[in-house]
Amino acid sequence: MARSSDVIVVGGGLVGAAVAYGLAREGASVTILDEGDVAFRASRGNFGLVWVQGKGDGLPDYADWTRRSKDLYQGFADGMLEHNGCDIELKQEGGLSLCLGEDDYSETEASIHRMHNQPGVGENDRRMIGADDVREMVPIIGPEVSGASYSPHDGHVNPLYLLRSLHAAAQQLGARYVSGAKTLSIAKDGDGFRTETEAGIFRSGKLVIAAGIANKWLAPMVGLDIPVRPDRGHILITERMQPVLPTLLVNARQTADGTINFGNSHEEAGYDTSINPAKLAEIAGSIVRYFPILKNVRVVRTWSALRVMAPDGFPIYRESETAPGAFSISCHSGVTLAAAHALDLAPSILNGGFNDRFAAFSPERFHVSPAA
Amino acid sequence: MTRTDLAIIGAGPAGMSAASTAREAGLSVLLIDEQPEPGGQIWRAIERNASTRPEALAFLGPDYADGAARADRFRASGANYWPSSMVWHLDCPEEGDKTLLVAWDGVTRQVQARTVLIATGAMERPVPVPGWTLPGVMTIGAAQTVLKSSGLYPEAPLVLAGSGPLLLLFAAQCHAAGIPVAAVLDTTPSGAMLRGLPYLPKALFGWRSLLKGRRLMRVLAQSGIPVYRQVEGLEALGAERVEHVRFRSGGKAVKLEATTLLLHEGVVPNPQLTRLIGCEHRWDRAQRCFHPVLSDRGETSVPGVFVAGDGGGIGGAIAAENAGRIAALEIAEDFGAVNRPSGDIEIVKARDNRRAQMAVRPLLDAMYPPPAWIGKLDGDVPVCRCEEVSARAVRGAAADGAPGPNQAKAFLRAGMGPCQGRMCGLTVTEILADAHGKEPDAIGYYRIRPPIKPVTVGELAALDGAD
Repeated sequence: MARSSDVIVVGGGLVGAAVAYGLAREGASVTILDEGDVAFRASRGNFGLVWVQGKGDGLPDYADWTRRSKDLYQGFADGMLEHNGCDIELKQEGGLSLCLGEDDYSETEASIHRMHNQPGVGENDRRMIGADDVREMVPIIGPEVSGASYSPHDGHVNPLYLLRSLHAAAQQLGARYVSGAKTLSIAKDGDGFRTETEAGIFRSGKLVIAAGIANKWLAPMVGLDIPVRPDRGHILITERMQPVLPTLLVNARQTADGTINFGNSHEEAGYDTSINPAKLAEIAGSIVRYFPILKNVRVVRTWSALRVMAPDGFPIYRESETAPGAFSISCHSGVTLAAAHALDLAPSILNGGFNDRFAAFSPERFHVSPAA
Repeated sequence: MTRTDLAIIGAGPAGMSAASTAREAGLSVLLIDEQPEPGGQIWRAIERNASTRPEALAFLGPDYADGAARADRFRASGANYWPSSMVWHLDCPEEGDKTLLVAWDGVTRQVQARTVLIATGAMERPVPVPGWTLPGVMTIGAAQTVLKSSGLYPEAPLVLAGSGPLLLLFAAQCHAAGIPVAAVLDTTPSGAMLRGLPYLPKALFGWRSLLKGRRLMRVLAQSGIPVYRQVEGLEALGAERVEHVRFRSGGKAVKLEATTLLLHEGVVPNPQLTRLIGCEHRWDRAQRCFHPVLSDRGETSVPGVFVAGDGGGIGGAIAAENAGRIAALEIAEDFGAVNRPSGDIEIVKARDNRRAQMAVRPLLDAMYPPPAWIGKLDGDVPVCRCEEVSARAVRGAAADGAPGPNQAKAFLRAGMGPCQGRMCGLTVTEILADAHGKEPDAIGYYRIRPPIKPVTVGELAALDGAD
């Protein structure tokens, strides 16, 4: 028998769970349809940054949207605590992107100037700092570090606790979570939608597709073309250590548990989530250059996961024009944008005017013909 | 980069036997092992003990001493041998050679192998009784390892607790070595003989093992070591370390002093490498553990990757040697290195030898059933030692919707520590199965990530093979 709710969210990762939580906060009855225990799950493989600096080069709206999410984050974290969420270890104390050698330094500096020159990029707090100042903030850097770009807006969370907290809070607000419910087909059904899954058929008034890479093949079922592709990243985790990284880095963060996570690699590898030894060696090699003292630290775990990447790297948000009430939500910044997704995007799904509000993030931008 | 026809991981009975057999057939063989000398767990330090500590051979018993000849044969086989080396990743693409990444002396060595034999044996089933994380509580296997490799023995008063052949063997070894044992707590439920009876006729094919078992029981009975039977509700108590053990035996509550408590509830296949490469596994109800699904040839569901020995299902050293031989012969036949008729005869013989060794297993499984209480765990008892996750928290994750151990891992960090889930994997699966009212096969197991054991940043960075 089909079960019905106001909104079905396809996808129980960070994007889907944040939207579901936001919808449930607004009083909607929500069903989250998720795959089983093993799936691509970028949400279990990501790095945990709530990162602002450098984002929006080429799309000022993205810089603003990122900054908005960052500003909403503390209230978002506190709000989940009121609804059975857990402490997500949010820290927003600023972050660094280290440079190795002079060329790296001047390239980073040039990118800051470029973004300053773009009207509307609300990111003026990012600045370059020299090696000596970096050493004050991160005493273990090696002699090759030439400086860094710094932004006071950057921060991080424990991404796994964030996922768990979103699930717990959404469910406490009445959302229903169905696992083992891989979506097979979506169809219009009266003035709503009928979603067929491996766990049965579900009906809803509205439908949000937030299934990561799978939006690529699910969104066409509601008349949307979402050209995302997998972008593989590797992460290395060390054993627990005394605090040695007091400041957050774009490619290294020490968690509350004491482990250090290293990441920030990109690679085209299709849907292959296996480990590329050469990539790990490259990351490990850069760790030794950034922090020679960490050479003998033990790595306890590595993995790769697939970012959900648009051709230009920015989010894609759209309500279907042929099937109004169906929405596709994709981005690679499920952590950074979680607060905006829950507190801002989700209400727009219920209140209308979605495509006007998020016009900058429409997939139409990929379909502009050269002649236009 | 090193290239080889056959890469074998593990220099225990299965690995050494496979290496010797494959070399006789003319294959190039590389055997990689973590220990400094061959022998595996059962024959650990056999060469050193045989040459410098003959007294150890006496109290460790004749089965242990047998290892010396095996090590000699392996050494003479001409196999390329990397001791003190750790395989931390195995990658098996659909086409082409397998890649092994091996940490050795501060660098990572890359191996390209046409076929791989995983002979990494068994590990002890983790026994999460209350207090099991206190210093002074270890496993019998760990204590035996120390005894073999350095002759050191645990501090008295020493209490042994658990069930099964290794408990008996270690008690007998301690007795022979003059190590005082304060008590043996036998957790085997009553009626072991009755449970075993239906399996006895078939088990008679393995009469040698049965006689060994009888002999061990007699040694224990004559040793004067107090034995408590049908022990339940075992707990280790103490502030900084274990000071007492408490349990019920025959309906009575007992508390004993203990400075060392050694636990043992049987062994299970070491799942790390077969899980890492995504082999199909199946839950064995009688042994309460997962086994990799193997063909008659010993091949996993990943083509070109074989498993021999206790890693494929517990059978002991002689069964493992024969399984290693079978796998090596099958691989040699695939390569056309031995002619089929003669190779097939050898395979038939090895299969028969292995079958005789396995004959006793159903009897042992019935007599010494693995603990059913593990799946029922709840409360404060730590399940994941590395990340200090309790049984109650695992049940909480199930209630939050975690369908299996990977979502539970994401919610709780269970299985994310340096042991890579070795110490909690089975327990978490069993608890989730219980919480969801499903079979462990439907719940699954952790996705194992490389490195399967920790490697240093420097070892990762120093990757050879760009040749």
